[in-house]
Amino acid sequence: MPENRSIPPRVWLFAAIALATAVVVVIGPALFDRFTLNVLTRSMIYAMLAVTVDILWGYTGILTFGQAAFFGTGAYASAMVLSHLGSTPALLALALALAVIVPVLLGGFVGWLSFGHGSTPLYATVISLVVPIVVTQLVFSGGVWTGSSSGLVGYSGLPLGLPGYFRLTGICLIVTTVVALVFTRSDAGKLLVAIRDNEARCAYLGLNPQRLKIVLTALLAGVAGIAGFLYANASGVVAPENTGFVFGTEIVLWTALGGRGTIIGPVMGAIGIDYLSAQLSGDLPFLWNLVVGTLFVVMIILLPNGLAQLARMALPRRNGEQANAAGSPAITVAPAGNGSTGDNRVLSVSGLGKSFGSLQVLQGIDLDVRPGELVSLVGPNGAGKTTLMRCLSDGTEATTGSVSIAGQNIDGMTPDEIVTLGVGRKFQVASVFDSLTVADCLRMARASRQAPSLLRRSATLGLPAAAADILRSTGLDRMLGQPVSLLSHGQKQSLELAMVVALEPKLILLDEPTAGLTKVERTTIGGTLQKLTGELGFAAILVEHDLDFVRDISTRIVVLHQGKLVLDGSVAEVVNSETVRTIYSGAAHA
Amino acid sequence: MTLLLDMVTTAAILFIVAAGLLAIFGVLKIINFAHGAWLTIGAYCAVATAGLGLNPWAALPIAFAVGAILGGITELVIVRPLYRRPLDAILATWGLGIVIGQLITLWFGRDVQFTSNLLSGTVDVFGVGYSLYRLFAVAAALVIGLAFTFLLEGTRLGLSAQAVIMNEVLARALGVDTARVRLATFIVGTGLAALAGVLLTPLTSVDPNMGVAWLIGSFMLVMVAGSSFSTLAIACIVFGGAQVLVSTFVSPILGGITVAVLCALVLRISPKGFARA
Repeated sequence: MPENRSIPPRVWLFAAIALATAVVVVIGPALFDRFTLNVLTRSMIYAMLAVTVDILWGYTGILTFGQAAFFGTGAYASAMVLSHLGSTPALLALALALAVIVPVLLGGFVGWLSFGHGSTPLYATVISLVVPIVVTQLVFSGGVWTGSSSGLVGYSGLPLGLPGYFRLTGICLIVTTVVALVFTRSDAGKLLVAIRDNEARCAYLGLNPQRLKIVLTALLAGVAGIAGFLYANASGVVAPENTGFVFGTEIVLWTALGGRGTIIGPVMGAIGIDYLSAQLSGDLPFLWNLVVGTLFVVMIILLPNGLAQLARMALPRRNGEQANAAGSPAITVAPAGNGSTGDNRVLSVSGLGKSFGSLQVLQGIDLDVRPGELVSLVGPNGAGKTTLMRCLSDGTEATTGSVSIAGQNIDGMTPDEIVTLGVGRKFQVASVFDSLTVADCLRMARASRQAPSLLRRSATLGLPAAAADILRSTGLDRMLGQPVSLLSHGQKQSLELAMVVALEPKLILLDEPTAGLTKVERTTIGGTLQKLTGELGFAAILVEHDLDFVRDISTRIVVLHQGKLVLDGSVAEVVNSETVRTIYSGAAHA
Repeated sequence: MTLLLDMVTTAAILFIVAAGLLAIFGVLKIINFAHGAWLTIGAYCAVATAGLGLNPWAALPIAFAVGAILGGITELVIVRPLYRRPLDAILATWGLGIVIGQLITLWFGRDVQFTSNLLSGTVDVFGVGYSLYRLFAVAAALVIGLAFTFLLEGTRLGLSAQAVIMNEVLARALGVDTARVRLATFIVGTGLAALAGVLLTPLTSVDPNMGVAWLIGSFMLVMVAGSSFSTLAIACIVFGGAQVLVSTFVSPILGGITVAVLCALVLRISPKGFARA
């Protein structure tokens, strides 16, 4: 039912739930007593934080305890303005502005600190632990400005009263949740999952995952700051505990129990647990925490996707066929990008060397590649083939010499910058995004050229003709809505090749694209490569062990041995060369 | 002179506290966020020992045994299923820390407890009176460091542990029972953490949340140190020294975060910390 695709029933369902929640929020003050209203207001503020943690952790894979610090910074920025300057409307506006700006700046700095080139996920978590501790200690040493250990109290905030705060917070929470749901389900939201799945592949698709993560951290710090502003106003008190790392772990705990990666789950988790804590902690103070702690440990081990996973298992599954239809966009052929440049050498390598300490892996490599050439790189194991490929696609790798892509020296450039020069790299082990669908993977490959929508899932998938051809010849065009995790090894290899071609590179680097493939799949890929280079004018460098395959498709063969380029010539020259026979069969055999 | 002694003894205390965490991180590549809880368990072992009227020194072996047994159970039940999900392991062990903290609160109450001092009084060091116990801490740190060196270099378990540290897949292929190495390491690491908890009792108040304060500092030191005890010792001396200097000359509150901030900066500049391959 393709007509139905524009508005799936789930959207109506979500809209209905949001509307129902809004009604509850508006009439809530008439239903609940003062204590419940107070607690729920706080719980809903915490739920906003849980949404931000879910986007960072559940979707992007960054386990963070730092949202507490941004929340606390926002709360303190507001409370400091309101206590020391006053609470006229202008100053309230200033408080709100500072509650957003200060956390965003801090978030940007923390992001820069956390996501350097080559930093590990664990390191980001480490930084997110340090930040709340530092903020807390700064609050302690702030004297009268921050109220030190007793916090700030006795200032007047927004003139709303308890029902007003309840409604305001409820509306903020609904807006946050809806925006988060729309964003995470949009094309751009898939980018977060792509980063979580395979950051290296993102970089080699010309995206800058580090910068995206820094921007995300800064933006979500701002959201946490708004939550802090609400908290400072609604509760009338800010304390050092609001900024602390223990509070940061609590937010993660709510997110985990509710169900990471679902947005709704963490909202329910935060409200449910915080509300129950307030109700029960009077009667059984320590036992309640014990129960929550035990539940948390059990959930992490047995049910890592939280209570939302249980809910999903309980609900009837969506019809698989229907899901497939809704998820498969139609392929449209995108116009080809700009053509060749003045210098007709796509790649020019001179004097390239690479050493690990005293071990010289590559030395004195000179190589030129022109459009339309299919150059095969052969040589025994350990000859330095893969290292050479790395030096061509990452400007920080080479030790000596220079590499130019389309006339531009790549020295010191990161992979994503080199991709924009026109280099696509296919890895030896298929590097794709396992949690995405085939169509989403291909869309990621186009994301650097055409910014994905923040709001919608597009119904079409624009691809260059060459990439669409690969999909057709491998049958992947009928599997666009399938999750990648269900593909076979050969299909993943083809998908990765299609993704690389979708980048419209001038030069394609392929590291053993046929390893582990069947004879038929091999022939298909060989034919595709010949077509790409011979007819469409791509240049390609292919690392390959199968000499028969190399002989069938190459226009030129380069032989690498012990880090040196020993031979560079036509197929006939190389195949009949004495040197190659010596290298492959040992000197004694000659 | 006192300053210098403060720096050395602070480094020694940090080393004692972080050693158990390092052993586990080095071999298992898992951050045991319940480390703080094990320090607390050790400290309460000292409280219980005193309550039974035993010699305060008896708390050391008791705490090691209690910590090791609980550690063994934890490894089998909680940590083992999570080796492939290191970030989840952080969360699960943190949850375990909450549980242990609450159990201790239910059992002993949430009030601060006091224990009898293991060693009291001062001694003259180069004409300055200095706490005997803090000097004893230096000796304890040296003993722990040497014991670990012996364990790693001189025993079969240590050799297997080194193999697992360097290349776990290969070690398993060569017939090392990596599951047992992990279990043994976790037991030693947690036993040591409990032991460190006893050694902390004369220096700090004992309450159900005492471990959290020590957790972050030792965690950061371990991140910088990687998997080697000698780099941990260097890190403790450098950052412990910096902590004492900041506390003395700037502000004690900022001194409390010196270790964490400096470690974070070092890791930003050199992701491998002090552990250069």
